[in-house]
Amino acid sequence: MRAFTGKVCVNRFVALLLVAMLLISCAKPASPTTPPSAEADDDFAGLPLMVPDRYDPPIEMSSVVAVDATIKFLGENDIHNNVWTRAYEQLLGIKVNYKWVVDGSMYDQKLGLSINSGDIPDMFRVSPAQLHLFHEAGLLADLTDVYAAEASAKTRDVLTQDTISLKAGTIDGRLWGIPLTDAAVASASLLWIRQDWVDRLSIDAPVSMADVLEISRRFTEEDPDGNGVNDTLGLCVTKSLWGAIANLQGFFNGYHAYPGIWYEQGSSLVYGSVQPEMRAALLALQEMYAKGQLDREFGVKDINQVTETIAQGKCGMEFGVWWNPYHPLNQSQANDPHAFWSAFPIPSVDGVPAKSQYNAAIGAFLVVRNGYKHPEALIRMINFWTDNILQSQDDNLRNTFLGDIEAPDVVLYKYTPVVLWEPNAMIDGGKKLREALAKKDPSSLDLETQWRYRIIQAYFEQGILEAWVEVATNGPNGATTILGHILEDRGQLNRFYGVPTATMAEKMPTLQPMEEEVITKVIMGEPIAMFDQFVENWYRLGGTEIVQEVNLWAERNQ
Amino acid sequence: MYKKSKQPLMRKSHLPLILLGAAMAGYGLLTALVGSWLSTRAMRGLISAGAYRNQLAAFEQTAGLIAGIFFFVFFVWCAIRASGLVRVAFAIGAVASAAPLLVGRAERLLFAVIGLPTMGAGSVLAGAVVTLVFALPMTILFILLACGRRVPRGGRWLSLASIFVVLGTAFFPIYVTVLAFLLKPGDPAVGRMIQVSSQLIKLRYLLPGLSLLGLAFISMRFDRFPSEVAETAIEKGEVK
Repeated sequence: MRAFTGKVCVNRFVALLLVAMLLISCAKPASPTTPPSAEADDDFAGLPLMVPDRYDPPIEMSSVVAVDATIKFLGENDIHNNVWTRAYEQLLGIKVNYKWVVDGSMYDQKLGLSINSGDIPDMFRVSPAQLHLFHEAGLLADLTDVYAAEASAKTRDVLTQDTISLKAGTIDGRLWGIPLTDAAVASASLLWIRQDWVDRLSIDAPVSMADVLEISRRFTEEDPDGNGVNDTLGLCVTKSLWGAIANLQGFFNGYHAYPGIWYEQGSSLVYGSVQPEMRAALLALQEMYAKGQLDREFGVKDINQVTETIAQGKCGMEFGVWWNPYHPLNQSQANDPHAFWSAFPIPSVDGVPAKSQYNAAIGAFLVVRNGYKHPEALIRMINFWTDNILQSQDDNLRNTFLGDIEAPDVVLYKYTPVVLWEPNAMIDGGKKLREALAKKDPSSLDLETQWRYRIIQAYFEQGILEAWVEVATNGPNGATTILGHILEDRGQLNRFYGVPTATMAEKMPTLQPMEEEVITKVIMGEPIAMFDQFVENWYRLGGTEIVQEVNLWAERNQ
Repeated sequence: MYKKSKQPLMRKSHLPLILLGAAMAGYGLLTALVGSWLSTRAMRGLISAGAYRNQLAAFEQTAGLIAGIFFFVFFVWCAIRASGLVRVAFAIGAVASAAPLLVGRAERLLFAVIGLPTMGAGSVLAGAVVTLVFALPMTILFILLACGRRVPRGGRWLSLASIFVVLGTAFFPIYVTVLAFLLKPGDPAVGRMIQVSSQLIKLRYLLPGLSLLGLAFISMRFDRFPSEVAETAIEKGEVK
């Protein structure tokens, strides 16, 4: 009987313990940040939000917004009433009214019409050209002082991670537009090589452009796919020559040539496409073409056709950006599950390390109408984004404002024009991921990075070969590692990020096709003298004036 | 009602069953250890993904070939030493010997030789085929042993448990892979399942091997103390 009683006591104790544990686990975690306003709607209750001072009474802000065909809304939501408009109103005290909503492709045209008719929104997005145009017309509010007074530490960090973001929005020393930042280095080219072919032919990793040429030769001549047919190409190139996929700028970079961009040579900026370094690269490409290492018809093949060549397993190398494994390189597994690609830094033709060229990622700015009473409201909206969306690791918060895994096609941040991305987020995220992989502990990662960790884990621990895409981009020694090096000292940023100069706007539409035509023809066998002639013509047909104008711009924007 | 009398799984000696269980468990343990060692090195960036794949493929092909041959020999030996339903069970189990042989070779066989479409999931399909080649015969083997009235009582229970072990270790990773890559990419819950799955997959050969060793132990015990086991059965009313 005593034993029975004791057993009952133990059971009760265990039951109490379990109930206590259950209650503890259900309790809300302590919020490390400022709690939202008491008036906040249930939408935001319990979220660890960092909210700037709320306007009381709320202010009105008219705006305009571009959407794309993929935008979707849940339930009763629409562009005028959604999680973002409610957050601005309830948490910041800013009631945003969209004057119009238009498809992204029609935005510039609609904005032009709207402004011409005098119907100027309080806050809106503009292109770099529009920024200068509207500034000259006196339509924009000076944001210099409100930025200095209101920008949060995170906002300042995001806007200064690359050196030109804020400069791009600055005219004559004053800030007129807040740049919608993104990762500039993401446009840098890497060398992608079919690793399974390299292994099959026992080839070492390339360290020089001579190695690249040798790999190209062996991929073409030694039947790396083992099908007994001479049907493989050393290097894939599209007819457009420059771009994110199967481009040639990466190849030229190996020869210290930087086509299409402006870079410093001595004390002035020069245009890369007309520099003497182009010649050696062109001659090397000409030889590759003559030996069948490039597609005989590359001059007419677009990205889709090159993707098909990759899917057929005929392509061994390409120069492209970091995300190429997601597309089109993933296609190479369509016929061969063992196909996978590895990224390499651009090798150099000599002992001097090669630099990958890339462009500034400033494609748009947020501006405020001159005369609007609360220009600081834009900075507060930006703070709300950077402090919460970019800085927070809270999954509930991110699900609330960005979208939920249960409805992956509903992308919530498309409902607001105030969207900035951290320029260095990809590189920092990759670094954290690799640290977690080394420790085999993903607990410190946010949800998205944890997922990447799991996919890489599936590759290494479950043999899921299709997961190579994540390994090649974010895994150990993956593409984001190389991007980190490019950002440090192996990159060549396009130093001209202003709006086209007068002569540039007039002459470049003629000069650029001419440049591409000459390069294509020389590769396909025309004498190199054709390129020399092009350089001469380029300067004669307006290049000289363009160089002067660009250098004048550089002096003004130092 | 007529009850068949229990008898040991093997006549004369249980050596073939012990060797079969030991070979399977040993192969499972070895592949798990080598796989973990290589994956750790690769995840730390000490070797490239290409080197990881080459080294793993070389190991899997060699170890798989040796293991497959040993499995087959021991299965056949077990079948010879057994009788009745147990013999049928081990004869069917012998088909599972093909699985280690196929590891590292299945993709080439399915997509290059037979010419099946990869549907963008070649390694998943190939992995599923290898799993089926191992799991189906092993499941049938354990079902037959669980149903065998001449099989000692403990052996039947262990066989019943082994059915779930084989099915779980075989199909849970496939289920998780389908969820992760096709149905719910990005789902944190599936992410945690990948974690479990990557550990479970290491037990794919180890646990069935240990089950076979357990069966051998139960059968040997029955062989050595048949009366004791019989009495226990009578006490429990199993034998009239």
